[in-house]
Amino acid sequence: MNDELKAIDPKTVKVLKAGLDTVDISVNGKLYSNVIPRKPFPLSHPEVVLLCTEDGREIGVIEDYRKLDAKSRGELEKVLDVIYYIPRIKRINKIDHKEQKYVWKVEIEEGKDIEIVTWSRCVRIMPDGRIFIKDVNGHYYEVRSLSSLDLKSKILLGTMI
Amino acid sequence: MTKNEEKPEEAELMLFPEDVPNWIKEGLEREEDVIAIMDTELYKGRFAETSLVLTNKRVMVYRKGDILEDISLTRIEEASIRTYLNICILVIKTGGVFKGIAAFNRNRFKSLEKLVTIINNLVIGKISYELLKSSVTKESRLSEKRIFRRLFGLLRPTLPLIIVSLVLSMVLRIFDLTPPYLIKILVDEVLTPRAHIEKLYWILAALLALFIGQILLNVAKGYINTKLNLLISRIMRSAIFKKLQRTSLFYHDKFGSGGLFTRIFDDARQIQDFIANSLQSVAINAGAVVFVGAILVSLSLKLTIISILPLFITFIMAIFYSMRAPLYYFRVWRKWSNLVSTVSDALNAVLLLKSYRKEREYEEKFMKEHIGFEESQIASFKIEQTFWPPVWLVFLGCNLSIWFLGGLDVLNGVLSLGSLIAFTTYMWEFYGPIFGLIESFASFQRVKVSIERVFELLDLEEEKSGTYRAPIRGNVVFDNVWFTYDGIHYVLKNVSLDIKSGERVGIVGPSGAGKTTMAKLMLRLYEPQFGKIAVDGVDLKEYDLESLRRQVAMVMQDTPLFDISIAENITIAKPEVSPLEVMRVAKLAAAHDFIMKLPEAYDTEVGRRGAKLSGGEKARIALAAALLKDPRILILDEPTAMLDALTEDKVIEALERVTKYRTTLIIAHRLSTLKFTDRIVVLDDGRVIETGAHKELLKKGGLYAELWNSQLKGLARRQVILYER
Repeated sequence: MNDELKAIDPKTVKVLKAGLDTVDISVNGKLYSNVIPRKPFPLSHPEVVLLCTEDGREIGVIEDYRKLDAKSRGELEKVLDVIYYIPRIKRINKIDHKEQKYVWKVEIEEGKDIEIVTWSRCVRIMPDGRIFIKDVNGHYYEVRSLSSLDLKSKILLGTMI
Repeated sequence: MTKNEEKPEEAELMLFPEDVPNWIKEGLEREEDVIAIMDTELYKGRFAETSLVLTNKRVMVYRKGDILEDISLTRIEEASIRTYLNICILVIKTGGVFKGIAAFNRNRFKSLEKLVTIINNLVIGKISYELLKSSVTKESRLSEKRIFRRLFGLLRPTLPLIIVSLVLSMVLRIFDLTPPYLIKILVDEVLTPRAHIEKLYWILAALLALFIGQILLNVAKGYINTKLNLLISRIMRSAIFKKLQRTSLFYHDKFGSGGLFTRIFDDARQIQDFIANSLQSVAINAGAVVFVGAILVSLSLKLTIISILPLFITFIMAIFYSMRAPLYYFRVWRKWSNLVSTVSDALNAVLLLKSYRKEREYEEKFMKEHIGFEESQIASFKIEQTFWPPVWLVFLGCNLSIWFLGGLDVLNGVLSLGSLIAFTTYMWEFYGPIFGLIESFASFQRVKVSIERVFELLDLEEEKSGTYRAPIRGNVVFDNVWFTYDGIHYVLKNVSLDIKSGERVGIVGPSGAGKTTMAKLMLRLYEPQFGKIAVDGVDLKEYDLESLRRQVAMVMQDTPLFDISIAENITIAKPEVSPLEVMRVAKLAAAHDFIMKLPEAYDTEVGRRGAKLSGGEKARIALAAALLKDPRILILDEPTAMLDALTEDKVIEALERVTKYRTTLIIAHRLSTLKFTDRIVVLDDGRVIETGAHKELLKKGGLYAELWNSQLKGLARRQVILYER
């Protein structure tokens, strides 16, 4: 168990190289390889990043990774975008009720039509207006905000909130 | 109905009776007043009139004017009740010895409970006779309040909607009643004489206007009624909910969460239904009976008299029916309950059923219960058929008689054909409202119970907050504290304890010794009946509740979490803190590591009452939440009870760290949890029997040493078993 939480000043961190789910970093000049960046608050505070070694030891926590220098931030986001990928919903076309589940037909920002199956309580609204939809397998989908949707999508989403 | 059921409670227990029987009066001393007289039908296991008399000086048991027991209040240490199969015994403690002095039937338990509370108030609480008298009189005054007047007072904001809805309903009723009259004119003035074609157009136009009006008014009435229903339910439910948030935990224990749910939802719905629907129908139906009755008389007095006859016959039949039918309906309800509880047992204890191979047995039980339910339904259908077909036969006979006699009148030119058609139509409009009024009476009886239950809650006393606000240093004193949940059985008896600021005190003792109760009293979730608890020399009653509870935190062994995320549960008392602060306290509480193993980490929703987490995980989240408050006084109730040995060690280490320099009360069964405490207090049967450091208590060889040794033996036994495996 790591007893104390070590906050790291983003100015002291350089992200040197990004792998698929790990990064090589230096903190105050000390090198760490294969570091796993983890978000302790992936939905409510996605800017907080906890850096851990492969064996689970915590190096420290960055309160807001967006304060890293541009290159480091870019490298880190390469990994974060992979391991914390959440499809963003652009339009909701239809919601059907089938056998106590709800089947959503939605279009995501990548332009693809997909189907999401949820239980009745599946919507989480964050204080900053972002909306998350959780499917029956625990997979999340994001709506940037209610105002980013067209009228029909708003009405359909309104029936689930 | 038995004799006892007929007897109201007041008849069993007379408090401050004005007419004291002479045979009691004669035995009273100077300045001796009777507080209560309670009759019992039992004496030495036989039915025999016996009376228990409580005065401001003693408790006496009389039989046929002779005193069987006479105990001075100054000798009484405590009163209590022992309950048996059918009997409860009033037990009095004198000189450290309990003695039963009178036996009562179990159906008098409530009265006896009240009496015991009064005796304890006098002997333990040393409450004065005058104060006792004023509190009892106040209690009886409260119960006499007029509930209906209060209900309408509460629902005053709905009055405009009620009036609009009532007016719309009456206009609609008039619209409903008009077409038969127009048809009478059509038959008599247009169709029969085959003349006045222009009247045909007018009548049809009027009918069309009426139908369109009915549609529009129905829409308007539906809208108003929906608003009215919603407003009533909001007023009722929010009043109850608000009250429940502000009352002491004592009432939550008393009514139970199931009972409170029923009152918030079912009783409030009954009242809403009554006000929005039944009450209106009374007004409308009463108006319709008078209005339609007048039309019927104007059409034909003779036929009106005939049409009233079936009502009398039905009324007599209904009396006989109401004497038999409820038994059958109750049987249906009972059979249905049996069926539901069989299914519920089978589903809740599925593991047990499977492990004992009881599946087949429960399948058969289910079938048996279901067949029983079906039979009860058929029986109730049959009993209904002994009432309704004869009733309809009576009404059919009446209808035929009216057609026959009315037809003769038409043929004889006494009555017009239109009048006869209108009469037969109005006749049914006359019966409908009468049956409606009978139904309203039944629903009035049902709702009366609901209103009483709701006002019972609304009348509850709210938690009283003092005004004292100051940073707490953490000196806690229990000064001769007595506490009981039910007024009879004292969980804490004369507890005195002095805890210094920053001291870490362990509370141990057998189950039911009163450990958790002490913790709850410190948070002022309950108030002691006698004695006082002071923090930094100030009585807890004087503290502003918000300020006190902000500085005192309690972690229970099975803390129910809210159905929100882990982060939100931790920050429940301080939502404004940063994510890093949340992680910091989670680490202190040894919760961070398991949280980070969850895919959604701190954003994981914990489910209803934290169902998605284990007991140990919930305990650690609760500890983190408590630490975030940075309390001056920390109360931990079995903090490691749900943990495995490895995690327990981690949590104990964490506790040792976080409790340093903080007044801490740790309640524990596992004595190993208390290794870092400064002092251990041993409770037994509500009393402090030992206090001291771990080594001192072991040396003493008392209850603590006994508990410690038995835990050591248990541990050794487990190790031997593991080794042998």
